Amino acid sequence: MLAAIRAVLVRELIKMFRQKSRLLSAMVRPLIWLFVIGGGIGSLIDSATPGQYQRDIVPGIIGMTILFGSMLSSLSTVYDKESGIMRMMIVAPIPTYWIVACKMLASTVAGSVQAALVCVLLLLLGFLSPAIMLNPSFLLAVGLTALACAALGMVTSALSDSLDNFASIMNFVIFPVFFLSGALYPVRDLPAPLLLVSRLNPFSYGVDLMKRAVDSGGMASDFGVALSVGVLVGFSLLALVFSSWRLHQEARQARLFNLAGGRSR
Amino acid sequence: MILAQGISKHYGALTAVDGLSLDIPAGQFFGLLGPNGSGKTTTIHMLATLLAPSAGSILIDGLDITKDPLQARKKIGLVFQDSSLDGTLSVEQNLLFCAGLQGLSLKASRERLQELLPLFDLQDRRHAPVASLSGGMRRAVDILRGIVHRPRVLFLDEPTVGLDLPSRKRIWHFVRRQIAEHGMTVVLTTHYLEEAAPCDQVCFIRQGQAIARGNPDALVHEFGDRILEIEASDIARLTAQLHLKQNDFLMEGNTLLVRERHDTQVSLEEIQQQLAQQVETLRIRKPNLNDVFLWLTSGTEEEKTC
Repeated sequence: MLAAIRAVLVRELIKMFRQKSRLLSAMVRPLIWLFVIGGGIGSLIDSATPGQYQRDIVPGIIGMTILFGSMLSSLSTVYDKESGIMRMMIVAPIPTYWIVACKMLASTVAGSVQAALVCVLLLLLGFLSPAIMLNPSFLLAVGLTALACAALGMVTSALSDSLDNFASIMNFVIFPVFFLSGALYPVRDLPAPLLLVSRLNPFSYGVDLMKRAVDSGGMASDFGVALSVGVLVGFSLLALVFSSWRLHQEARQARLFNLAGGRSR
Repeated sequence: MILAQGISKHYGALTAVDGLSLDIPAGQFFGLLGPNGSGKTTTIHMLATLLAPSAGSILIDGLDITKDPLQARKKIGLVFQDSSLDGTLSVEQNLLFCAGLQGLSLKASRERLQELLPLFDLQDRRHAPVASLSGGMRRAVDILRGIVHRPRVLFLDEPTVGLDLPSRKRIWHFVRRQIAEHGMTVVLTTHYLEEAAPCDQVCFIRQGQAIARGNPDALVHEFGDRILEIEASDIARLTAQLHLKQNDFLMEGNTLLVRERHDTQVSLEEIQQQLAQQVETLRIRKPNLNDVFLWLTSGTEEEKTC
């Protein structure tokens, strides 16, 4: 079972570092947001303390790196379903939930590694201090956020048959999750329906943990630590159970094999 | 090694496999034969624990696979009809990935790789991305993937589809070696029936049911001694001239097949002389599994239309 974790993790990391352009854009994307959105909106609202808004969205920017890193990584499960690799993993003498757990763990690591790289950039740019980066509460925040994002990607993959509808995944999953998380602005003043969505959004709790750990001074956190940790872990476990169940059903109904094989019998 | 009793699989109203029973001893080369859509792949997937049968029971090495699929999977290697490899990873990375899934340590996986790659002369391609390999080599990697964990039973689902002759030969050579050296039980499906000639036992299936089974040589021997193959444009008229017995001939498009058996009065030489001037091609050859299957299925079709 441990060998399976190693195998899945190694494959994920090989693929992550092989796709250099994707890795590079994962590094550049948060910086664009930090400087373009952070600078632009910051100039609009920061009259007293210049640069305060940019510092305030640093936790959200790290969160974004994790959201994209972990989620895109676990979304590759859809590719695994299409290419027959998932089918082959199902034949291995390990339970389906363990395969899902391995994939989620590998995506968690992939997202965390990308977050670490971005953190180093932020450190060099003066937005983070080594003390914050190595603070256990920050590391916990990164790890749990990455886990929840991997879980979200896994549920999405379990429900999708192909990556053709990637644009709709982007529109209906990634963007709302990011915008309604408090990454860019405090959510407590949002209108009630959007506030509700942001409360139901597990990513909000990850961003909140990071805000708490970074403590930029401008944007206060909305939730207690225990609640955030509970929601992130709880959501990930639920996602694990649901995705395993779903993949198991797909395998039993032969859908997985039809997907990969194209032939019905 | 494999004992399946009355297994069926229904997809809604569709019955893919219908009460099939199989008894495959250890170390046997077994062929499950039939046209596309006859239920071969569904059967293989059930035997390999991927699909739960709607009815019936399956024992592999004495283990009830529906009760303990994980334990059974350790004994099973499965090579799918189409590739299950990650094209972006190298041969080595793919095989190490599979070995890990099978629970081999990194050290054990690497050692196993040293044994596996030479089986298909892939040593110098180990770092090549799988997507860059030829179809034959990719299938070879797929097959190696299937035996990475030294399974007792190897299921090969249409392993030679779309491959050239040398690649096919390499695969058959490999299969024979695995059986001879490791006592592996190999279950093959194919719709190229003549490829199943080296099998110890074959089972013809059609619409999910077994319609004949036995040793290929025995089946062919039982079927007949010789086949006369005649091609002509007005084959129906010629056939009528010959007054053959119902079960001794078969028409396939513009081709008439006549079989000669020890108990029939058909004389191929006579027919040959009679028709020599009127036909395009005329040859006498040994029968093969294809003929056996053609005769079997044509019979059932006639019964249906009658």
